[in-house]
Amino acid sequence: MSEAVGLQSYINQQVFVVTYDGRTIMGELKGFDQTCTLILKKAVERIIQKNDATEEIPLGLYIVRGPDVALVGEMDAEREDAIDWEQVHADAMRGMGENH
Amino acid sequence: MLPLSLLNTAKGHPVLVELKTGVTYNGHLHSCDNFMNLNLHEVICTAADGEKFWRLPEVYIRGATIKYLRLPDEIIDLVREDREYRERREAASGNGRGGFRGGRGGGGGGQRGGRGGGRGGRGGFSKQQ
Repeated sequence: MSEAVGLQSYINQQVFVVTYDGRTIMGELKGFDQTCTLILKKAVERIIQKNDATEEIPLGLYIVRGPDVALVGEMDAEREDAIDWEQVHADAMRGMGENH
Repeated sequence: MLPLSLLNTAKGHPVLVELKTGVTYNGHLHSCDNFMNLNLHEVICTAADGEKFWRLPEVYIRGATIKYLRLPDEIIDLVREDREYRERREAASGNGRGGFRGGRGGGGGGQRGGRGGGRGGRGGFSKQQ
């Protein structure tokens, strides 16, 4: 495993972002700074619901402020395509508190 | 690419800003600073519940209260052009940043002469043997 810390290795790749209010957003990571403020190109919010089909809302060019980012993960295109997201159901993710 | 660079390139373009409170501001980005504080002109403010709307000629938004921003898709292409233009200009001027280095050397030389005069007495050191 390389020792690289930080988001540099994710640049220009599809990433999966979880925000502090419990939203899940995917997009191409075009840039970031030391506060973890992110630039996402062709961002899409995926809303997984308990009873209804999964919704995907296109967001376009998106800047998320660092204080609102909880997690940034690499997306695996193969595993992504292998899942039929319409069939996935789950409770909505809770936000992580009012102070963020 | 730094997020603040992208934001600076977006000046003059319409942006959507959502605050941590859920209120959204739609307007033209007039100016921004390193804290991401923004000045928007011709703004439509929408309450968090989506029910109430206000039209405001100008707003100032504290960067710390922003949750996210949405920008027009073409801005990301403008940043690339912006950067290429600046790089070409810097290459053509041949290190314009080094222009002031000559000034510092001249100022230091004047001082050194004065200090030497006071210690003229040292020249009298002689070996008394």
